[in-house]
Amino acid sequence: MAKKELRVALFLAWRSLVRGNRSSMLLNVLIISMVFTNMMFFPALMSGIGVDIKEQIVAYQTSNILIEPAKGDQYISDLDTTLAQVNGMPGVERATPHYQMGATLKFRGRLLGTTIHAIRPREEKYVSPLYTTMIAGSYLGDGDKGEAIIGELVAGSPNIPEEDEFNPSLGGVRVGDSILVEFGNGFQKEYRVKGIFRTGNFEMDNRVIVTWEDMEEVVGEPLDYAPYITVRVKPDYSETFVKNEILQYGLREKVQTTEDLLNKGIGRALASFSIIGLISMLVSLVIAIVVLFIVIMIKTLNNRRQIGILKAIGVEKSVIMHSYGLQVIILSLAGILVGFLFTGLIVVYMTYYPMVTPEFSATPYVTPLDLAFNGIILFAASVVSGYLPAWRVARENIQNVIRV
Amino acid sequence: MSSGCEHMIEIQDLRKIYQMGQVEVKALDGVSLTIDKGEFIGIMGPSGSGKSTLLHLLGLLDDPTSGSIQIEGIDVSRLTDWERTMFRLYKLGYVFQDYALVPELTVKENICLPAMLRTDREEKDYIAATRDILHKIGLWDRRDHLQSELSGGQQQRVAIARAIVNTPDILFADEPCANLDTENSRMVLDLFKQINQEMQQTIVMVSHEDWHKEYFDRIVRLKDGKMVNGGR
Ligand SMILES: Nc1ncnc2c1ncn2[C@@H]1O[C@H](COP(=O)(O)OP(=O)(O)OP(=O)(O)O)[C@@H](O)[C@H]1O
Ligand SMILES: [Mg+2]
Repeated sequence: MAKKELRVALFLAWRSLVRGNRSSMLLNVLIISMVFTNMMFFPALMSGIGVDIKEQIVAYQTSNILIEPAKGDQYISDLDTTLAQVNGMPGVERATPHYQMGATLKFRGRLLGTTIHAIRPREEKYVSPLYTTMIAGSYLGDGDKGEAIIGELVAGSPNIPEEDEFNPSLGGVRVGDSILVEFGNGFQKEYRVKGIFRTGNFEMDNRVIVTWEDMEEVVGEPLDYAPYITVRVKPDYSETFVKNEILQYGLREKVQTTEDLLNKGIGRALASFSIIGLISMLVSLVIAIVVLFIVIMIKTLNNRRQIGILKAIGVEKSVIMHSYGLQVIILSLAGILVGFLFTGLIVVYMTYYPMVTPEFSATPYVTPLDLAFNGIILFAASVVSGYLPAWRVARENIQNVIRV
Repeated sequence: MSSGCEHMIEIQDLRKIYQMGQVEVKALDGVSLTIDKGEFIGIMGPSGSGKSTLLHLLGLLDDPTSGSIQIEGIDVSRLTDWERTMFRLYKLGYVFQDYALVPELTVKENICLPAMLRTDREEKDYIAATRDILHKIGLWDRRDHLQSELSGGQQQRVAIARAIVNTPDILFADEPCANLDTENSRMVLDLFKQINQEMQQTIVMVSHEDWHKEYFDRIVRLKDGKMVNGGR
C-alpha cells in the first residue's frame, strides 16, 4: 500500500475515533488497559513472590551456596580446614558454618519446641544481613556466653493469649529475660535474651541463635564439624561459577546453589504458579480479542452502506480495511499505554504496601521484557481481531450494500 | 474500437437478470444507448423499471448479465477489480439519493476525500479545488461543519461537490432530489445544470419527477427494463 493510501486510511481512522462516540472509545481503551494490567499483574505477583522467597532464602537460610555433608555422613568434618579452603577460593565472599540442635524452650510457664542455631557472629555478618534486623537489644558478639538472640515469632506478644496464637510463641519475651533451654541431648541451660530480630522470613523468625562457643558447651566438645556451611558469593561472580570451583577443588561434600535448591523445592510450586499465570493471561487475551472483534464488527456492520459508498467513489478496499484496522491499532496502543500506567501504579503501590503473609511479602516483579512481551502479544491479538471484520466487510460486493 | 470516439458512453443490448428462485427478474432487458460528452441525460420511468440498475451498470458499480459497455472507447468488462476502482476514482463521480457523506468528516474533508487518493494531485491542488467548489456550492462558510449540522439540501450540495472534485468525465446521480423539497431540489438541479453548462460536464441522472424534465438535454425513458424512447 502506497503512502498516500495509508495517509487517507489513517485520516479516516483518526477522524472516526475522535469524532465518533467518545465514551465508547474511552471504554474500549479502558478495557484493553485492564486486560493488559490483568495479563501483567498475576504473573508479576507470582514472580515477585518467587524473587522474594529466593531473596529470603539467600539472606537467611542457605546464602548463595549450601555445602552439606557427603552422602552417608552426618557432618562436614575437618571444619576449619574446609572453611579455610573455601574462603580462599576466588569469588567467595565468606563461608560460615552452622550447627543446629532441637530444643525445648521454657519461659513463664510456656513451652515451645524449636531449633537452636549456632553461628559465628562476626563471620555471619559477611553472609547474612541478620545483624541488621534487630528490633530490640543487640546482635551476638563472638565469644558471648549464655546469651541468645531470638526471632520475633519466638518472642511473641504478651497481649495475645496462648490459645489465640496462630503461631506458638513464648508469649512476650523481652530483652534481658532469661529462657530455659532443654536441648535434645539432655543438656539444660538458661540463656539471657540479648536481642530480638525480625527478618520477615517465617522460618528465620522462629529461630533461636547462640554463639558457636555456647554450642560447644552444649555438645561437650570442640565443634570441628558442622551439619552445613553457607557460602556468600562476591557480587561479580555467579553462583554456578563458585559452585563448580568448589567441586573442582575436590571437596567431597554435597554442594548446591540456591537456584538448585529452589528448582527442587519451591521451583515446582513456582512452575504451577506460572501455569496459573499463563491461563489468566490467555483468558485476558480472549476477552480482548472478543471485545475488539465485536467493536469493529459492529462498527463495520453499522457502516456497511457507507463503506459501499466509499468503494463506489473510488476508495480502494485496502484503504477501507486499514481505516478500521488502524482504529484498532490506535485503540490498542492507547490501551496498552494506559495499561503500562496502571501496572506501574500497582507496582508502586505494592512497593509501599506489599502483600504480606507469614511466608513472604510480595511486590509484583515486572521486567521491561515482560512489559514488552505482553504488550506485543496483546497488540498482535488486537490487530488480528480488528482486521478480521474489517477485511470481511471491505470485500463485500458494492451492490449488496449500496441499494437502500 | 476508438472509431473517432466522440461518444462518451456506448452500450449495446445491455441485460441484467436477477434469478429469484424459479423466477427470472429482468431488471434490464436489452438496452442500447449512446451518450455524448457534455450531455445532461435524464433517466426516467416508473418505479422498478430498471433506472437504478442501468445507472449502476454505467457507473461500474455492478456487472451486466450480458451486453457491452464502452466508456471513452474502453470495454469496461475487461477491467480488473482494481482497475475498475481506479476508473471510478479518476473518471466517474456519483451522487446518491441519501447524500452518503461520511458523518465523521467535515464538509471540507468530505469534499476533498476522493482527491486525496489521486496520485496526480498534490495537497495544495486539492485544497485549492475544494475551496473553489465550496464557493461554487455556496457553503464556504460551512466548510468546517459536520453533516449532522447541515440541512438536506446543503448535504446534497456537499455530495455533489465531492462528486466533482476530481473533475470526472461523467457524473452519475440517482434521484438526488428524492429527499428534498421543491426549493432545495431546484437549488440542487440548478447546480447540476450550472456544472453541465460551465464545464461541459456529462451528467446521467435518474429522476421520476416530471418537472425535472426541463433540466435535461435528453430523456431516456425505461419501462419494465426496456427503453421506450430517448435512445440513439
Ligand atoms: N438485488 C436484486 N435482486 C433481485 N431483484 C432486484 C435486485 N435489484 C433490483 N431488482 C429488481 O430489478 C428491477 C429494477 O430495479 P431498479 O432498482 O433498477 O428500479 P428503479 O427503476 O430504480 O426503481 P425506483 O424508481 O423504485 O428506484 C426491480 O423489479 C427490482 O425489484
Ligand atoms: Mg432506483
